[in-house]
Amino acid sequence: MAWAIGANDAANSMSTAVGAGAITPRQAVLIAGVLEFTGAYFFGKSVTETIRKGIIDPSKITDPNVLIYGSIAALLGATIWLVIATKYGLPVSTTHSIIGGIVGYGIVYAGTSIVNWGKMAKVVMSWILSPIVGAIFAFFIFKAITRTVLQSQDPIKSAKRWSPFWIGLAFVVIGTMFYLKVLHGKSLFVGIVKFGIPVGIITFIIVTLILKVRFPKVDPYLGAEAIFRRVQVITSGYVALAHGANDVANAIGPVAAVYTIATMGMAGAKVPVPRWILALGGLGIAIGVATYGYRVMETVGKKITELTNTRGFTIDFSAATVVLIASWLGMPISTTHTVVGAVIGVGLARGIKAINKDIVKDIIISWFVTVPTAGVISAIIFKGLMLIVG
Amino acid sequence: MQVWTKLFAKSPFKPLIKHAEVVVQTVETLEKALDLWAKGDYEEMAKYAIEVDRLEDVADRIKMELRNSITSKLLMPVQRTDILEYLHMQDKVADAAEDTAKWLIVKKEPQIPNEIKEVILKMGKESIKAAKLVYEAIKQMDTVVESGFSEKEIEKEYEIIRQIEEVENKIDGLDTKLMMLVFNNHLDWTDGLYILNIARTLSNISDKAKDAAERIRIMMNK
Repeated sequence: MAWAIGANDAANSMSTAVGAGAITPRQAVLIAGVLEFTGAYFFGKSVTETIRKGIIDPSKITDPNVLIYGSIAALLGATIWLVIATKYGLPVSTTHSIIGGIVGYGIVYAGTSIVNWGKMAKVVMSWILSPIVGAIFAFFIFKAITRTVLQSQDPIKSAKRWSPFWIGLAFVVIGTMFYLKVLHGKSLFVGIVKFGIPVGIITFIIVTLILKVRFPKVDPYLGAEAIFRRVQVITSGYVALAHGANDVANAIGPVAAVYTIATMGMAGAKVPVPRWILALGGLGIAIGVATYGYRVMETVGKKITELTNTRGFTIDFSAATVVLIASWLGMPISTTHTVVGAVIGVGLARGIKAINKDIVKDIIISWFVTVPTAGVISAIIFKGLMLIVG
Repeated sequence: MQVWTKLFAKSPFKPLIKHAEVVVQTVETLEKALDLWAKGDYEEMAKYAIEVDRLEDVADRIKMELRNSITSKLLMPVQRTDILEYLHMQDKVADAAEDTAKWLIVKKEPQIPNEIKEVILKMGKESIKAAKLVYEAIKQMDTVVESGFSEKEIEKEYEIIRQIEEVENKIDGLDTKLMMLVFNNHLDWTDGLYILNIARTLSNISDKAKDAAERIRIMMNK
C-alpha cells in the first residue's frame, strides 16, 4: 500500500516542477523519495486512527479477527485500485481509496448501517469541492501574478519588486502548513504567527537580496520564469515532505491495527504506531516514487498541459493555500484533486497554451469510481479471507 | 524516460511558428527565382521554382499534422477555430508563392520590358517582407499568451499587424502600376497574360498575409 501511495500520490507533488522543466524526472524521483521518507519517518503521525476518519463504526465489529482480515482486505483493495489507476496515469486520492476499502469490508460484514453516511457525504463533497476551489484560487492567483509581474510596463523592474512578495506569501502558507501538517500542530493562529509569518519574512528578505545582487539579464519573461524556477523546487519539495508526514497514515493505519491486535489481542480505537512500521511505510512510499511515480508525474506535469515556472508556482501555491484554508474550516479536501483543479484554473485564466480535455475527463471519472471500486475489491477479498479462515 | 519526450509540444504555437518559418523560406526561394528570371537565366530559375514547390509541400505536411493535433480535445487560450483559420491563411501565403513559381516556369524567354521587370522584382521584395512579418506576428502571439495577454505585448502585436497592412497596400499600388504598364506597352497578349498572372499571384502573397494578420487580431480580441 505504501508503495502504491508513493507510486501514485507522492509523484503528484513533484509533477508540476517536472512539467515546468525546473527539474528532471530523475531528480524529482530522488528528491521526492528522500523527502517522502523523511516526512513519513520523522513527522508521521505517531498515533493513527484504526478506522480512518471514523468512516465506519468500530463498535459494530465485535470479533477482533474481522478487524484483522478487514484491514488486510481494505489495504489490498485500496492497493489494487491504486496500482490500476497508476498504470493508467490517473492521479487518484489514496485517502479515498483506503476509505473505499474500509467501507467495502464494513458493508459486507455488518450491512450499510455500519457506515457513517454523514462522513461519507463529506468525502463525496470533497471530490467536487477540491478541484473547483483549487481552480478558482489558481485562477485568481495567476491573474494577480500576471497583473503585477508579467503585464507591467517594465516587467524586469516589477519582477524584482513583486516576486519576493509572492514568494514570501507562499512561504507564509508553507510555514503554517508545516506546523499543521508536518508537526501536527493544532492551532492555526500559532502556526501563522510562529511559523508562517517569520518564514515568509525571511524568504522575502532573502529573495529581495538575491535579486538585488543578480537578476537574470534576459528576456523579461524568461527572467521572471528563472526566479520562479528555483522557488518551485522548494515548494514541490515541501509538498513531498508534508505528504509523507500525512499519508503514511493511510498505509500504516490498518497495518498498525493488525499489529496491535496481533500483539495485544484487542482492538483499540487509537493505536500507537511503532517507529519501525512508520519506517516501513516511508520506505514503501519512497520505493513507490522511484519505481512507478514517473507515470503519474507524466500525467499531471505533461499530459494535462504544458507548464511554465510561474504557472507551476501558482499551482503549488494555490493548492497549499486551499488545503490550509480547508483544514482550518474543517472541510474535507484532497490535495490531489486540488492540484488538478489548480492546473485547470491556470488554464482558464488563459495562462496555459493547451489543456487536454480528454485526460481531465478521465481523471474526474477515476475520482468518482475510486471509493466504489476499492470498496468492491476489498469486499471480495474480505469474503474470500473469511471463507478460508472460517 | 522515453514516454516522457513523446508527450512534448502540446502547445499549438510552436508548430505554428515552425510552419511560418517554412512559409518565409518558400517566399525567399521565390524571390531568388524572380531575380534569376529578371536576368533571363531560365535554367537556374527553374531549379529554384521547383524548390518553391517542394517547400510548399513541407508547409502542407506541417499544416496537416497541426490540423490533426488541434482537436476539440484541447482547451486553449484562443479559439480553436481561430487557430485553424489562421493556419489556413498562413498556408495560403506559401500556396500563392507556389502559384507564382509555376507561372514563372510556363514561358521560356518571354519578351518583357525592363521597367516591368523592375516592378515585379519590387513586388517580390515586398512579399518577403509580408511573409517575415507574419512570422513575427505568430511569434509575438506566443509571447502574448506567455505574458497572460498583457496590454503591452498586445500593443506590439497590433504594430506588426499594422506593418503587414502597410506592405499589402504598397503591393496593391505596385499591382495597379504594373497593369497600366502592361497595357501601355502594347505587349504580345501571351506576354501580357503571363505578366499579369505573375503580378496577381505575387499580390496574393501579401493579401493572404493580411488575412492571416486579421485572424491574429481576432485571437487577441476574444
